[in-house]
Amino acid sequence: MKTNLWGVGLVWLVAVALAWEWGAHLLAVEFHDPMAGSKLPYLHAVVSTMVENSGVLFEAAEVTFTQAAIGFAMGGLIGYVLAILMSVSRTVERIAFPYLIVSQMIPVLGLAPIVFNLVRDMNASRMVIAAYITFFPVAANTLAGFKSVDDEKRTLMHSYAAGRTTTYLKLMMPFALPPLFAGLKIAAPLSVTASILVDMLGSKNGIGVKLLYALYGGNMDIFWASVVTSALLGVASYLAVLGAEKLVVPWETASGPGDGR
Amino acid sequence: MSSAVVDQHNPGPVQTPFGIDPSSPIGSVIRIQGVNMVYPGRDGHETHALREVNLDIRQGEFISLLGPSGCGKTTLLRIIADLLEPTSGEVLVFGVTPRQARMNRQFGIVFQSPVLYEWRTVRNNIRLPLEIMKVPKAEQEDRIDQQLDLVGLTKFANRYPHQLSGGMQQRVGIARALAMKPALLLMDEPFSASDEFTREKLNEDLLRIWKISQKTVVFVTHNISEAVYLSDRVVVMSPHPGRVSSVIDVDLPRPRSQESPEFFSLYTRIRRGFEGVYHQP
Repeated sequence: MKTNLWGVGLVWLVAVALAWEWGAHLLAVEFHDPMAGSKLPYLHAVVSTMVENSGVLFEAAEVTFTQAAIGFAMGGLIGYVLAILMSVSRTVERIAFPYLIVSQMIPVLGLAPIVFNLVRDMNASRMVIAAYITFFPVAANTLAGFKSVDDEKRTLMHSYAAGRTTTYLKLMMPFALPPLFAGLKIAAPLSVTASILVDMLGSKNGIGVKLLYALYGGNMDIFWASVVTSALLGVASYLAVLGAEKLVVPWETASGPGDGR
Repeated sequence: MSSAVVDQHNPGPVQTPFGIDPSSPIGSVIRIQGVNMVYPGRDGHETHALREVNLDIRQGEFISLLGPSGCGKTTLLRIIADLLEPTSGEVLVFGVTPRQARMNRQFGIVFQSPVLYEWRTVRNNIRLPLEIMKVPKAEQEDRIDQQLDLVGLTKFANRYPHQLSGGMQQRVGIARALAMKPALLLMDEPFSASDEFTREKLNEDLLRIWKISQKTVVFVTHNISEAVYLSDRVVVMSPHPGRVSSVIDVDLPRPRSQESPEFFSLYTRIRRGFEGVYHQP
């Protein structure tokens, strides 16, 4: 089953690569499009640019990714704590939840300069924006998880005369791990995107800066190499969360008769 | 408080460690007097889930609460377990209120569905109440091994619940309740979701476990032959309003054969009692 999945993944990867090459070929050779190089350059050309500039790209990517990761961790923690507070107290939920939704209505593009003006530090801005993007899906998913704990499972805790803390530690928190990870999986690539966005708002380093300079300078090879690098960062962040989930939520993936929950 | 329960770990004859109410009959572990459960309805009509229930449950007996749905058998069990509070009447469990008995962890409950925590292995599901009761680690392992052996799941100790069949899951639920070493076991239609063959096997196992552990068992069921097969006494309940209509002693020697004439005559007697119930308008 596992090898099968890898096989499927490989087939897809090859298919996408072939489609890309073919599309680039169509643009450049069949349609004689003068802008082919910027619309869709050959994949092999993009890959070779990435290899040639791997040092510079990696350095830039590292800056962006590290800040995104720190912001993601902070946002995740804040979201989780918010979810606990809202599940403990109906009042807190009633007061806080509408504001949480409103917070997601503010475009990050408008928010980022405000944050930068406040903290006056590029790294801190990246983290704050990444955290801002992360906390909501984590809080909303985890809260929904807490709320969907079955009554019978609670009754069992009640019959053991378990206190609130014990009930949270032994029932609510483990029960809500799968929805927590669902939130984290949504947030991880978004936090990378947020970090790249902040790069573009006048940072000196980061993959977003490479992207922007290449675009202004008309250096399409570097531009595409940066775009692919950014995409890879998003994928890497997702896979990292997926890996953590496999470790922390082993019962979901354990095979056997029946279909889990 | 809980240390008294913890210390009580020899599976020999159970001495009730908590003082029995001197006014109750000798050996009575549960005393139910004049219990009413009334739910106010939308149109001002009150629903009598239980009316004037009186019952004494003796130490070490296997007693069934039998009746059709709506007779209040589960309600009565939940009142004993302090999961519901009666509208009026008095309930004493080991001479104290159900709430206190719950706080002292004096009973284990087995629910209709297994209610296992899917993130815990079989072993750790059985461990759950022991962690909460703060049983020392080494003793936890001993008790878990003992219960796994008793329910025949030693080989499945490290599986997750979804990797087990329904019958096996229910056994884990029983092992989890027994691991607390309660003097009283409350069971709410525990095998009603199982097929006939699994149910018979589980019933045999339950009797074997009951004999070894000598606990008092209160067993809710709607299955007449199950009640007759298992119980020392069958409390026959009827609905509208929920009440005890008769208490029948089952004086048949164990193991009981469901095909014996004595078994059949008892079964028929209880069944006839219900016929009136169903033909009511």
